[in-house]
Amino acid sequence: MKYNIMSSKEEFLSKNERTKCWSSRDHFWECLRSNNDKADKCTDLRLIYESSCPVQWVKHFDRKYNYLKFKEKMEKDGYEPLNEK
Amino acid sequence: MSYFCSRIIFQRFQIKQIKKFNFSNVSGGPNKHVEFPKRNKPIFGKDGPITWKTVGITGVLGAGMVTYLLYLKEEQEEKQRRERKRQLGKAQIGGPFELLDGSNNIVKSEQFLGKWMLIYFGFSHCPDICPDELEKMALVVDNLEKEDMNTGIQGIFITVDPDRDTPKIVDKYIKEFSSKFIGLSGTSDQIQQVCKRYRVYYSPGKKDVDNDYIVDHTIIMYLVNPEGEFIDYFGQNKTADEIVEHILLHMFKFKQEKGSLLSNTLEKINSLSGKKIVTS
Repeated sequence: MKYNIMSSKEEFLSKNERTKCWSSRDHFWECLRSNNDKADKCTDLRLIYESSCPVQWVKHFDRKYNYLKFKEKMEKDGYEPLNEK
Repeated sequence: MSYFCSRIIFQRFQIKQIKKFNFSNVSGGPNKHVEFPKRNKPIFGKDGPITWKTVGITGVLGAGMVTYLLYLKEEQEEKQRRERKRQLGKAQIGGPFELLDGSNNIVKSEQFLGKWMLIYFGFSHCPDICPDELEKMALVVDNLEKEDMNTGIQGIFITVDPDRDTPKIVDKYIKEFSSKFIGLSGTSDQIQQVCKRYRVYYSPGKKDVDNDYIVDHTIIMYLVNPEGEFIDYFGQNKTADEIVEHILLHMFKFKQEKGSLLSNTLEKINSLSGKKIVTS
């Protein structure tokens, strides 16, 4: 039940549309961070985000969010080398 | 055997030293007439300092020395050859291309000879990286134009998504970043060829229900000199300021090389014609 108005667009996003998409994404990410990644607390922002960005971009940014979180964790907590059990 | 030989040489050496030394001069002052020891034996021969043995030893040592020097020279030349090869290897990236601009006109890489080129490969549906990189490229070109060293640089965007990015779309897309940039597209074959030349990897992802997809591709800016040769590349990690610095250095080096080449040629002409051509 994804609400999306961008998906039918054949052409690329203009500079304004891109900026709008990115800022809606950033608002949603901010919400996630301050709510310990509980997405149900940010549904409104998620809807705006999904309506401002193409489906593919949302998928891409979701992956990126997880990657950035993982990277942050690695940098903060360090990592356990594979050969040390 | 060798021990025996060296003993004989040593003994003979000792005897010679003792014979040569004139004891009467030991306490002599500067006014005293100094008599040099007289050599009553031939220089060359059985009892002289030069024998077949010493000649042989000197010969062997000398030959060894010469061989070593020749080896060093050869090594040096090999080093230079390798350096030349490395430089030739560098030129294997890049090369001529033929693509289409926003008005469907054929654009050949030869048209840009005499100008520096900064090339970026991407696609208009790119979510975040291409817009960031293209904004950076616009900043680089703007900042370069303020520098005295700048000899003219053309920003070029080449799509890796020719199916969706028609020449017209690419042109419209790139003009949003900089009106000075040129956006190029072409047939799948043309794009494939230019990407192969520049070692650009690109792979369209899976299409979703709306036929939308993201193209995974190499994120690199390429610098090409006025002779159409690939010179350097800049990854995502380089800032606009760093890229500007690098490009200015390359422009400076290029000018210097061309300058020295010109003066070398003039020198050659001078020596050939025997006349002096004054260079200003």
